[in-house]
Amino acid sequence: MNLERIDAVRVRIPREEQRGMRSDVIVYASEAIIEQIRKDLSLEQAMNVATLPGIVGASLAMPDIHQGYGFPIGGVAAMDWETGVVSPGGVGFDINCGVRLVRTTLAAEEVRPRMRELVDQVFRDVPCGTGGEGPVRINKPQLDQVLAKGAEWMVENGYGEPRDAEFTEERGRMEGADPGQVSERAKERGRPQLGTLGSGNHFLEIQRVERVFDTEAARAMGMEEGQAVVLIHCGSRGLGHQVCTDYLAQMGAAMKRYQITLPDRQLACVPIHSPEGQAYLGAMRAAANFAWANRQAILHFLRGSFERIFGRQVRLDLVYDVCHNIAKRERHRVEGEVRDVLVHRKGATRAFPPGHRDLPDSYRHIGQPVLIPGSMGTASWVLTGAEGAMQETFGSVCHGAGRLMSRTAARQGRNAREVQKRLEEQGILVRSETRDGILEEVPEAYKDVDEVIEVVHQAGLACKVARLRPMGVIKG
Amino acid sequence: MFEVLEHTADIGFRARGRTLEGVFESAAEALVALALEVDDIAARECYTLAAEGEDLESLLVNWLSEVLYWLDGRRVGLRRFEVKEITSGRVAAEGFGEPLGPAHHRAKLVVKGVTYHQLRIVQDERGWVAEVYLDI
Repeated sequence: MNLERIDAVRVRIPREEQRGMRSDVIVYASEAIIEQIRKDLSLEQAMNVATLPGIVGASLAMPDIHQGYGFPIGGVAAMDWETGVVSPGGVGFDINCGVRLVRTTLAAEEVRPRMRELVDQVFRDVPCGTGGEGPVRINKPQLDQVLAKGAEWMVENGYGEPRDAEFTEERGRMEGADPGQVSERAKERGRPQLGTLGSGNHFLEIQRVERVFDTEAARAMGMEEGQAVVLIHCGSRGLGHQVCTDYLAQMGAAMKRYQITLPDRQLACVPIHSPEGQAYLGAMRAAANFAWANRQAILHFLRGSFERIFGRQVRLDLVYDVCHNIAKRERHRVEGEVRDVLVHRKGATRAFPPGHRDLPDSYRHIGQPVLIPGSMGTASWVLTGAEGAMQETFGSVCHGAGRLMSRTAARQGRNAREVQKRLEEQGILVRSETRDGILEEVPEAYKDVDEVIEVVHQAGLACKVARLRPMGVIKG
Repeated sequence: MFEVLEHTADIGFRARGRTLEGVFESAAEALVALALEVDDIAARECYTLAAEGEDLESLLVNWLSEVLYWLDGRRVGLRRFEVKEITSGRVAAEGFGEPLGPAHHRAKLVVKGVTYHQLRIVQDERGWVAEVYLDI
């Protein structure tokens, strides 16, 4: 494979590399990272994405890229709104998997002595949902409301504060959601799961702001060194997963009618303006709203947990909430021209720069907060979107560290109790519903998040604001 | 009867069967065994399952998606399957198991979906082999 290094953090795969590629692939990666990336099929997948009809600009790969199905995870691809295609594989099974950062009025050192109590309390109040029903009981008509109104419905019904919606991407409610395009099966899976974390790499972490790099931006977000914060990472649960399953099946069958042939079946797609395309977008937005409602519910229960342990005077406020599996209609400048595009972000986060009108007033001068969860036992990051992202990546950046090791490999030669003990020695308390939940998420199973952040910072896509370290971890 | 296949982010399995019906049964059992502790499930009740697909690959994916729907949507754990009929485009089967309850059934993995990633369903000298990756 012909990789042309552009500079220390950018690599190009020219379109001539593979027949059918309509554009180049641009990979944001240092030398060390590109060597890791080459070990799986991510770059082949990024090249396949470049074959999609209507692609605008390059097929983009973030430094945390790893192989997915069809589209790689950590990929961004924009399609011309009029002539391009929409692909559920470019969004992912977990529609609106995303991250919510919550600041507290407590110092980390006030929380640490009571961490075990707090972790146990949160473990009770925010279920993983692998067992029975979640804590939010809604009937079918209410579920349709949740799909239409997202986090807004939760706030209206007592699960949060009005300002929570203001500090959420899309205000926690995407326009154009169509609950009617979400199947009965998806609703059946999702309805009992509202207010649950899920499993795998989803988690809730109580963290310490270890270091601030940009005091002005941190101040605007209400953050400072030594503060206790909470990071929540989860998605649309079974509802989103089923929506993706349903539409992949539908589109797989429909593609022939649109005479689309692709190098990989998993790139199943249809024209944006086809009935199938519009149906998927309506369902996807509804599923995205479900995920925002879910993260809003979890914030509500988290507030309850903190109140029980620390009393009523403690405040938890939302810093921001971002999604990293989504497709959005946006306007971007491409080669000097303003164009309407559908931006697929699969394992990639929106990163709008200072001045963008879609930002809350209090963040407009600093840019959009970008929240990057690390693995349990390493670090998470807060960044702000920069102008470079708007110019090069359709306002997008990475979403995490990316896995290095398969789950089987991560389990080998390790035992959960030892891993737990090792983390405790580092001051990190973990409570997992399953033993495998600890083993498979060990820090060594992931790429170095600091290196990933360094690449996006150097590339001018986003700017470092703060590094966060876990103290207590709740997961499935 | 299955083995686990390595994948960086997700998980896969290779299932075998002497017949096409047999490999569909093994594949379904593999999916359930990755998601739950199968030993916790008693084969108390019989449920009817069906799936369609325009070719063998999509039939397999849709069949496994059906089993996943029973696990996560209907909250029923199925430990054993009997495929009654596979014709071109359709599979009809019975699944044996019981409703899931958190007190009795231990979850292992949340399976988000069944993918086409490096999907294989082929015949070899021993019968049929299916290789499937699951998004988790």
